[in-house]
Amino acid sequence: MKTEISRRRFLQGSAALTVVAVSGAATALIEKEEHDKVASFGLRKTQWSDKLTEVPTLCEMCVNKCAAIARVEDGVITKLNPNPLFPKSRNMLCARGNAGIQALEDPDRLKYPLIRVGKRGEGKFKRVTWDEAYEHIKNKMVKILDEEKDNRSTIGYCAGEGMAEHTYVSFMQDKIGSSNFVNHATICLTTTIAGYTLTLGGYGQADLENAEYVIMAGANRAEAIVTPDTMDMFKRTKGRGAKLVVIDPRFTNTASHADKWLPIEVGTDLAFVLALTHVAISEGLYNKKFTQENMSDFEAYKKHILDKNYTPEWAEKITGIKANEIREVARDFMAHAPRSIYYQGRRTAWSFQDFQVRRAQAIFTAMGGGVDKKGGILFGKKLELGKHEIPSPSYFNAEPRIEKDKAAVVGTSGSWIAWRNTIIDGTAPYPVRAFFAYKQNPMLSVPNTSKTRQMLEKMDLVVVIDTMPSDTVMMADVVLPESHYLEREDPVKTFGGSEPSIALRKKVVDAKYDTKPVIEMMRELGEKLAKPLFEISKKYDEELQELIEDAQDEGGEEKVYKQEGYDLAEGYKHSQETINHHMVTSVYGEEAWKTLREKGIFYPDMDKYFKKKSVNTYQYYPEHKKSYSVIKGELDVEPYHDTCVDTKEIGVLKKEFRTATSKIACALYNLEKKKGVDAMPTWREELYTPTPQGRFRFITGRHGQFTQSGTSNNALLLDLMDENYLWINKRVAQEKGINFGDNIEVKSSIGAIQIKAYPTEKIGPNVVFFIHGFGAESSELTLAHHKGANDNMIIEDHYEKSFGSAAMHETIVDIRRV
Amino acid sequence: MARYGMALDYKSCINCKACESACKEENGILLGADKHRIWVGVPEMEGIFPNLSIGSSSYAPSQCQQCDNAPCQEVCPTNATYYDDNGVVRVNPEQCILCTYCMQACPYDARYIDDRTMTVDKCNFCSDTRLINGETTTACQATCPTKVRIFGDLDDPNSEISQVLRDREHYSLKTHLGTKPKLYYLT
Ligand code: SF4
Ligand code: SF4
Ligand code: SF4
Ligand code: SF4
Repeated sequence: MKTEISRRRFLQGSAALTVVAVSGAATALIEKEEHDKVASFGLRKTQWSDKLTEVPTLCEMCVNKCAAIARVEDGVITKLNPNPLFPKSRNMLCARGNAGIQALEDPDRLKYPLIRVGKRGEGKFKRVTWDEAYEHIKNKMVKILDEEKDNRSTIGYCAGEGMAEHTYVSFMQDKIGSSNFVNHATICLTTTIAGYTLTLGGYGQADLENAEYVIMAGANRAEAIVTPDTMDMFKRTKGRGAKLVVIDPRFTNTASHADKWLPIEVGTDLAFVLALTHVAISEGLYNKKFTQENMSDFEAYKKHILDKNYTPEWAEKITGIKANEIREVARDFMAHAPRSIYYQGRRTAWSFQDFQVRRAQAIFTAMGGGVDKKGGILFGKKLELGKHEIPSPSYFNAEPRIEKDKAAVVGTSGSWIAWRNTIIDGTAPYPVRAFFAYKQNPMLSVPNTSKTRQMLEKMDLVVVIDTMPSDTVMMADVVLPESHYLEREDPVKTFGGSEPSIALRKKVVDAKYDTKPVIEMMRELGEKLAKPLFEISKKYDEELQELIEDAQDEGGEEKVYKQEGYDLAEGYKHSQETINHHMVTSVYGEEAWKTLREKGIFYPDMDKYFKKKSVNTYQYYPEHKKSYSVIKGELDVEPYHDTCVDTKEIGVLKKEFRTATSKIACALYNLEKKKGVDAMPTWREELYTPTPQGRFRFITGRHGQFTQSGTSNNALLLDLMDENYLWINKRVAQEKGINFGDNIEVKSSIGAIQIKAYPTEKIGPNVVFFIHGFGAESSELTLAHHKGANDNMIIEDHYEKSFGSAAMHETIVDIRRV
Repeated sequence: MARYGMALDYKSCINCKACESACKEENGILLGADKHRIWVGVPEMEGIFPNLSIGSSSYAPSQCQQCDNAPCQEVCPTNATYYDDNGVVRVNPEQCILCTYCMQACPYDARYIDDRTMTVDKCNFCSDTRLINGETTTACQATCPTKVRIFGDLDDPNSEISQVLRDREHYSLKTHLGTKPKLYYLT
């Protein structure tokens, strides 16, 4: 027997469970009051009655949107199975995907609209009708906008990732007309998207199905699941086709699949990549033909790297990774190129140099030639969908966003931390007085929770749209409950890549409570707000006044109102199904629509191409039909095929800062000239603080059983992991007399939390870690309430100055047993 | 009539526990961390930071071994544990008197107590939930991101599992006990 096989749970991965403790805690709570009926959590066997139907849909337990087939009996979902037809999700549903039923059936869900009755944050609400909720919002908005003389940007808003996110954002941005949007991107993937897009022309998709050598730095794909990357990668590790090098201060589940795990000093990735580059250049290992044909300013970059003397010996001192290891990795990488990838990563909100790290990674990958090639970074194809235009009025008095000068490049999706801090530190050029949140929980998700609280406390109106009573919901004045993803149809979506397809989230069951999908809320709120807000614009907006003057002869005001898009409900009037029908049939015809509704997935020739290859595997496209190399001439590719990033915004970025647009850019001189950001990746000593002796750097991360804070109340998932634990080096813990399960205080300059200890050798002596998403304060979350700790109570609100992206791993903490 | 077995490409396991959730949903298993038919074994990490032994950290997905010569069946005084027509070791809750002899006899720790029925429960290859309804995969197999499991008929020489077991090296657990398990770990 090779490994211990026992049903006893070891302290593992991110979880540290002991059978006795957990079963006690979990079942005790579940038996409590509302949580008394196990059946109400949906652990129901399918009865296979004649009433059984199977409905294809898409999972929304995280951002991946895996295709699922729901078994429904008598209006109840008894099981979610993977839908094999979707190339992106490759016939799987993870633990969270399976637990979608518990999310749907959670007795704590938001069930009807609410208006606050107590003090803000006190958690006292009364049930109201939708109309009362809209009326409340209208009265506040009319007052605020009147007082702010129609400066629409006085309404701030944020959004988490979701298929209906765009519906909400378009309403707030185009219809209400505020520039103050804070997308979740700057607490997640801004730097890697910007880094890869500005360098390669697009973020691309790592072809892990065919790569032979992969460096994953920080990206923990075995736990932070990304499809199809996770599935493609780990079928081929451990000597089965793909070599994997993991750079991570922690030994993660991903590291356990690695050929080489190199723990790095937190915040020094740039030095590591620069040294790899130095080896490849000084030893002449790069792809000469590819660099010559496809890369601009490569000679200048070579000179830069050599002049700066970024040798492995130099990097060893900074990163803690041995020079010979760096040499070996660089040589192996180039030996396997072009089937070698320095993996782009997703959440890259760690340090002050993140943008340049991603630039350097992209250039290094390109030096091996692994761009737009099988086994490298692919751009693939995307299937077009019909358009759904939403006419938008222009508001003359809407001011530009408040934090636009707080980082070099602040685009339409803003900088979360800088934006919030601008509101509370008094540097905002005008007041932001209302705040809308959709599917985001900034109280838990943005570094420095107490500042987020201060920001919300300053508002005259806080509106939160969500499915669960999160900590942010507790801060709301008006709560609009969204229907659960299994209860609604969402905008149809196209998924690009080497095997492109179109997928649909279809409603599986009727809404259980008095909830609505976002499109309906926008329609109804639009109807409520349109005329009163138009009146305010008429009062203050000189351009509008002129327009009305000019149109006096042909309908005047009424005409302007209609033609210029002031009817705020316009664009949301049809049902989502009708809109989807139009978007699909206008390009692919009725037959495609039928397929999509019946099967959940559509792509041209799917009936011919899709084949079962074995009991577990399927062919989506025959090999010669996959889109591996797509660039002919201009390097003009789609930046990213996901909802997390605004393609328009990235388009602007590329246009402004990529000079030789047809090439891979080693130098971004425009970015340096216009914005003062280094044209070429350069190690900046002043941007790195080594961890002081005897203290710890705090790092955070994700894992495979929970998605941020959104699933923290899920009964089934809490079986798998009941709370988060503090990883601390075993020997350090021993010295400090800390044992497993001891209560530890972790303290930074902004706050302190308490959490149980998990001493382990899987982390170095100067780092401590716990996973994100736990520590909810909301007492309405029966199971999540006060479970584990909230990392953002201690993560300081640093952000890097290129794009305003959070630098979450720049916090130094002290610990003590309590 | 078949003789069902399962081959596990255990090297692909990422310890995501999708299999455990899917099993609970499909088979209506009680909530609670110690109530499960399926689990992933995680060995203690060997080594000291930064010199950890990557090899020592392999995950071991596991469940009832569906022994051909099952000690649990042998000790059951009421014949609640029995072999069904497909060679699957099953528990009939109607007959179980919760003597727990089987739990002690099982060398693989595959059994647990269902507090609702106060009977012993364990993996049955989804016999009463999927196989009986014409499904040819188990819930744990179907949901797995990296497709660790291959389930099938060992008596059918053309089945994928038979082919895989012919073509690839594999081992079984605690074979010295003579239990003849039908779970095969592919190397
Ligand atoms: S990865 Fe898991 S949670 Fe995310 S969409 Fe897929 S099944 Fe759902
Ligand atoms: S679902 Fe697959 S990868 Fe995940 S824990 Fe189970 S066997 Fe391992
Ligand atoms: S593994 Fe245990 S429960 Fe399963 S058949 Fe063998 S002895 Fe019985
Ligand atoms: S085969 Fe079925 S019963 Fe057995 S562990 Fe897998 S899902 Fe559970």
